[in-house]
Amino acid sequence: MSAEVSPGVDAPGAAGAAARGIFPPELLDRCISCGFCLPACPTYALSKDEKSSPRGRITLMRALETGVLEEDDPTLREESSFCLGCRACEPVCPAGVQYGELLEHWRSHQWQGRHRPPLARVLTNVVVRNWLVRRLGTFRGHARTAATSPQGPHLMLGCFERALFPAVSRAARRLRPELDAPGNQGCCGALHAHNGDLELGRTMGRRLGEQLPGTIVTTAGGCAAHLAGVLGRDRVKEFSEYLARDGSASLGELRVDGRRARVALQDSCHLRNGMDVWREPRELIAAVADYVELPGAAQCCGSAGTYSLLRPKDSRRVLAPKLDQIEAAGVDYVVAVNPGCQRQLVTGLRRRRSRVRVLHLTELLAAAQDGGLPRRRLRLGARPGRRAEVPADEPAGLTAHLNDRPLPDDPGAAGAGRPDALDGSAGPDEVHRS
Amino acid sequence: MALDPGVLAELESIVGREHVRHEQGEVAPYARDATPLFSSPPDAVVFPARTAEVAAVLRLATSHRVPVVPRGAGSNLCAATVPLQGGILLVLTRMDRVLEISPAELLVRAEPGATTATVAEAAAAKGLLFAPDPGSRTVSTVGGNVATCAGGLRGLKYGVTRNYVLGLEVVLPTGEVIRTGGRLWKDVAGYDLTRLLTGSEGTLGVITEVTLALLPMPATASTGVAYFSSLADAGRAVTQVLAHGVVPATLEFLDRTCIGAVEDYARLGLRTDAGALLLFGDDGEPDAVERNLTRMGELCADEGALEVTVAKEVAESEALLAARRCSLPALSRLNTLTVLEDVTVPRPRLAEMVDRIEAVAARHELLIGTFGHAGDGNLHPTAVVDVRDPAAAERTHAAFAEIFAAALELDGTITGEHGVGAAKLPYLRDRLGDDQMALTKRIKAAFDPAGILNPGKTGS
Ligand SMILES: Cc1cc2nc3c(=O)[nH]c(=O)nc-3n(C[C@H](O)[C@H](O)[C@H](O)COP(=O)(O)OP(=O)(O)OC[C@H]3O[C@@H](n4cnc5c(N)ncnc54)[C@H](O)[C@@H]3O)c2cc1C
Ligand code: SF4
Ligand code: SF4
Repeated sequence: MSAEVSPGVDAPGAAGAAARGIFPPELLDRCISCGFCLPACPTYALSKDEKSSPRGRITLMRALETGVLEEDDPTLREESSFCLGCRACEPVCPAGVQYGELLEHWRSHQWQGRHRPPLARVLTNVVVRNWLVRRLGTFRGHARTAATSPQGPHLMLGCFERALFPAVSRAARRLRPELDAPGNQGCCGALHAHNGDLELGRTMGRRLGEQLPGTIVTTAGGCAAHLAGVLGRDRVKEFSEYLARDGSASLGELRVDGRRARVALQDSCHLRNGMDVWREPRELIAAVADYVELPGAAQCCGSAGTYSLLRPKDSRRVLAPKLDQIEAAGVDYVVAVNPGCQRQLVTGLRRRRSRVRVLHLTELLAAAQDGGLPRRRLRLGARPGRRAEVPADEPAGLTAHLNDRPLPDDPGAAGAGRPDALDGSAGPDEVHRS
Repeated sequence: MALDPGVLAELESIVGREHVRHEQGEVAPYARDATPLFSSPPDAVVFPARTAEVAAVLRLATSHRVPVVPRGAGSNLCAATVPLQGGILLVLTRMDRVLEISPAELLVRAEPGATTATVAEAAAAKGLLFAPDPGSRTVSTVGGNVATCAGGLRGLKYGVTRNYVLGLEVVLPTGEVIRTGGRLWKDVAGYDLTRLLTGSEGTLGVITEVTLALLPMPATASTGVAYFSSLADAGRAVTQVLAHGVVPATLEFLDRTCIGAVEDYARLGLRTDAGALLLFGDDGEPDAVERNLTRMGELCADEGALEVTVAKEVAESEALLAARRCSLPALSRLNTLTVLEDVTVPRPRLAEMVDRIEAVAARHELLIGTFGHAGDGNLHPTAVVDVRDPAAAERTHAAFAEIFAAALELDGTITGEHGVGAAKLPYLRDRLGDDQMALTKRIKAAFDPAGILNPGKTGS
């Protein structure tokens, strides 16, 4: 303890410090700056620079709150966007800092008006319109049931999932026919909350809560954590959690080439770090296949909501070691529990022409129950010995462009992962033929 | 005080542009370490990759009289890395390689920025133990550990960092590179500069390589717990344990406030009616561990323990240790400003010191929980107050000043393992006396004639 308090006290609200009112003080005050979060943070691992660590970012937030830094300080802008929002810093924090919530407040302030990444604006605008969300799903039919049974349990369809991976909700309903899946439901607002529009995100979450009264079951970890934050933990069940309740009775078995399939899992950051759900998906996989734990299963894949679109290069730097691990693990499938992760892994593995397929947990379990996986194989003039496979997890329609959007500074993204990119004559790097 | 543009350009040419930060937002996160209430940004943050770069930076700094503060992970609890006078913050985390593990010589050589956990894991992979285990081991660097002479939970049986430093490579503030000690377990040639530099808190030189002693990995470890109605009873049990020739690897205590806080937070099923909780543990060959644990359990019972449990398996042992690990998290959640101290007294006076702390807390109307290393007499009185209440912060200052004075009265010290830094510099004279303070300053001047290295800390 010092004899005198230093003049540069940075704790907002501490004697003499100004406060801009951007952050709820009880959240910002929690951090004791111990640094325990540093080894857990993927961006700190990349940069080894305090400003890209959770502790450093909280110090930056405090500097913003107290006016030590101007609101348009470039480091504030950069770091609020470089952060994956994966919340890996939360479970390791001895002081119980709710970093995810702090980040939402930070972005809501930082990304106002012109500072909001334009792509984030477009994406959040798309899903805020209910009719558009519904249109997206009709390219490939997701599950839907006609009338809303008031007490639930309701299956939430998720705006990106229903568009990118409509088979996920169909599989969920095959596994649990009692789930009611009204097609006219809106978006939960997680995307908005994470991308600088916390208020709208919360309003949308509450609205969805009214549309789907009672228990909401979701197949998207990111939506689950956001909804739990808005509606309360007890109203929300992520699908594996919902299934795990009644044991693994008669789930069947998934076999490949006459043996039990080998299956790995990629945790959903928000599901694991925000909702403490990680045992359940492992247990469910182990019930139907040989479960293989990836060394970095709990670490962010770099999808991180809109991150892979906003910061494709950083996203791929985060993803690269994971792809190595997946390929080294000798697995048949890798399972995702969130559409963003699913998309990220599909794209990444496809780019490497890996044989490992990506499935959502519901798809894996439904396949086990049905006694096999429907394979849609296309042979596309492949090189001798290389089999091009376009599995049922191929993103469809309009949104396929989201997947493979060419980005000016990112040649590798152009067209990679699309069926035509698998034409063996050209490397994925030069191909974009849509 | 901004850095001269010429100096900045030279820094960039030494380590490369991308390894220098100087924009206001970039340096702001380096204004503080794990110490509350201290904050002051550097003018530039520099990340060297090699000893030669460190030397060049220091030569430059000495010739331009620019302050340099070395930093590892910034996990220290005494404001030792807060750049009070601005200048250059020299961050050593890029130098993070484990260079060599020699099982035949029982030693490891590493760069200073390797984390304690990385070094310990590298040693464990060869069946060897790096004994110092500060609570911050996953974050803290070995350079920082040496510079603070970090302790940990195993101090009683295994000692602290100083007992494991065989040799150092150090860059002096004037730019010379020296190597003290080495790979030898015996070496009395010259003054023991290795020891002088250990715990020097970045005020005498910058450590660029460490050679640390390892031990064979103990076969097994186990833990027990005993509840007492008062800390005085627990203190007597500690005395009895040691008097019977048992030197446990772990001997940790929690006071009543901590037990309550931990139980509220983690629901471990602790006895909240107890006045003290004593964790005891040992490691080594299984039969010896079992014998020692049984013996310690009996001695606790003889001293009036309310209840004694000895773990039957590793998982149970881990669960018991969780109580100790949760102490700081549990206390810190009670309010928004957590001030953790580490006064140390001779072992037999532990209970007396805890009584004194309780009296001080009551007098200043503060919530202070105390836990710590009973075997070392090292206490961690932890005050939790509202950061937005300036009066409470003032009372905390006053209370800790009294706690330091009380520790000195009991022949103790103001800090057992966290260090002096800027936070306890005002109390250092009380501990060392005028003559030692003067000698300290002369030593500092001999190493650092320009006074550029970590000014405002020990020796300044
Ligand atoms: C939750 C928590 C628990 C802790 N538990 C313990 C514990 O059990 N025991 C214990 O002893 N401490 C403990 N600490 C304190 C702290 O972790 C230790 O002091 C640790 O050794 C600091 O290492 P660091 O790498 O973070 O050093 P820093 O904090 O970066 O620096 C500490 C000091 O070392 C100097 N320094 C760092 N690197 C070098 C170098 N290469 N050359 C020269 N000087 C250098 C700095 O200038 C500074 O004076 C704890 C801290 C926290 C937050
Ligand atoms: S672990 Fe928690 S309290 Fe510690 S620095 Fe990180 S966010 Fe702050
Ligand atoms: S959310 Fe993830 S990337 Fe962001 S600070 Fe936390 S651990 Fe780091």
